[in-house]
Amino acid sequence: MEQLMKILEQTCPGVDFNSETALIDDEILESLDLVTIVSEIIDVFDVEITVDDLIPENFNSAKDIMALIESRRG
Amino acid sequence: MSFNSVSFLIFVCVSVILYYLVPKRIQWFTLFISGMFYYIYSCKLRILYLFFTGISVYAFALILDKLNDRKSILKKEKNAKLLEKNKRQRKLAVFFCCIANLGLLYFLKYWNFTVDIFTDSSVLKFENIIMPLGVSFFIFQSIGYTVDVYRGKYKAQRNIFKFLLFVSFFPQMVQGPISRYNDLAPELYAERKIDFDNIRFGIQRIMWGYFKKIVIADRAGVAVDAIMKDVWSYSGSVKAFSILMYCIQLYCDFSGGIDITVGVAQLFGIRLTENFKRPIFAHSLTEFWRRWHITLGAWMRDYVFYPLSLSKPFAKLGRFTRKYIKGKAGKIIPTSAATFIIYFLIGIWHGANFRYIAFGFWNGALITASLLLESVFIKVKAFLHIDSKKKWYRAFMILRTCFIVFIGRYITRAPRLKTAVLMIKDTFLDFNFADLRNNIFTSFGLMPIDYLVILLGVILILVIEFKQERGIEIRSTLAKQNSFVQWLAIFIPLVILFLFGVLRSEYISASFLYQVY
Repeated sequence: MEQLMKILEQTCPGVDFNSETALIDDEILESLDLVTIVSEIIDVFDVEITVDDLIPENFNSAKDIMALIESRRG
Repeated sequence: MSFNSVSFLIFVCVSVILYYLVPKRIQWFTLFISGMFYYIYSCKLRILYLFFTGISVYAFALILDKLNDRKSILKKEKNAKLLEKNKRQRKLAVFFCCIANLGLLYFLKYWNFTVDIFTDSSVLKFENIIMPLGVSFFIFQSIGYTVDVYRGKYKAQRNIFKFLLFVSFFPQMVQGPISRYNDLAPELYAERKIDFDNIRFGIQRIMWGYFKKIVIADRAGVAVDAIMKDVWSYSGSVKAFSILMYCIQLYCDFSGGIDITVGVAQLFGIRLTENFKRPIFAHSLTEFWRRWHITLGAWMRDYVFYPLSLSKPFAKLGRFTRKYIKGKAGKIIPTSAATFIIYFLIGIWHGANFRYIAFGFWNGALITASLLLESVFIKVKAFLHIDSKKKWYRAFMILRTCFIVFIGRYITRAPRLKTAVLMIKDTFLDFNFADLRNNIFTSFGLMPIDYLVILLGVILILVIEFKQERGIEIRSTLAKQNSFVQWLAIFIPLVILFLFGVLRSEYISASFLYQVY
């Protein structure tokens, strides 16, 4: 989780990723941020995330993103 | 049958009456029949293009559906070899479907232009190509549907008439929105009782759209056309004035058309996705394009930008730039490149012309530069002690965005790219205020009263949009008033439309600018 928080905070400084639960629905993350975050995750966690995974439910909170990473690892 | 014709109004009235008169289970079918009538009346035999897209996408989606079902079975059986084969088949199906339909779009929109670029011969050209109404809207909407079925987002529609209704819902044909199947289909196929709130709100929205289109946009367009006809006779100030009028024309034409589209759909109780969200208040060019033609931007994001950014070549590029370019720039170069491609595509989506290629470059280059230089801007702001949240700074950002958009409009309105460049040059180097003080304005086909109407109309739009921007819902506020006030809100614009629109239509009526895209 620490690694993920580092990626998120580096990409979008100023966003409270600990408490935000509607990152996509409230348009806190833009498409550019999303792609940058996904590219970093693919590299750092060595998982495969495809365009089909780019749905709000997977990216609305740090917890959701972590769950996606875990599911791809499993 | 243009939106601003009497025949369209009669057609809508008849369609609405028919929709609520027939048994509820066949209401959707009356919408389908209305759509077919509208398209055949407007485009005659060119409806065959619509059928090509509708039928091919319908068939490919069914194939994809079957392959998706097979995929689920193979997943359960954990049959890796057949799963891989299934994946290839699904990819091939979606690929052929997209190629067939994008190929049709390319042929209709860009073939002659391509021939012109590569050869002087006209043998390969098809001189008689006439674009069918809303071709890029229905093709993009259908491709979005195919890709969503491929991704397993929803099941394919099995009833071909229901699917053709999704492709050809008539209010969307002129200028979108590009709807998603999961949003639009439940609205189209629902069974409804007449709801007079929907009728009243729908009429109000339509009136507002006609006001913007007929009273303001068409009027501003007269001056724009007059100046453009003889553009080299005027100094830079008049050229700038013509582009300012063009900005007003385009803003009111497009948003007015959207209002009419959404309003007509609401008469049937159908809610369409909003396609225009006060771009005049955008703080950046990126935000401007997110608010202008929202569904086109969202379509490009979901079906081009994401797949492109996460594709293998872009992933490789990303690894390369992260390795050799330190800092944020190394991370965002691939996404910036994908962004540039998207804005370039949006530019050429507007038409086959070097002007639109340049327009794509203009937007793509500026947005890409702003992404790459973001850290520099942050440092400069910190150095100058600028607080981004201050009102003056936000106002500055809005004005700066308006200026960038204004310059971009030279490119799309001038008859040729070279003319656009020279017009921009004259605006900066030959700006003569004295020209604007003479009686020159009345020589553009408009009278002083027309300019007053445009000015007051623009102020009214700005005030209303400013209130909406602050979260005030005008129609909901109006809905709380008594019915006399509410019907007055329909009657007054009707009188204005009659006095300043219909009565003067002999010289200012024009078709919608986005109709040709």
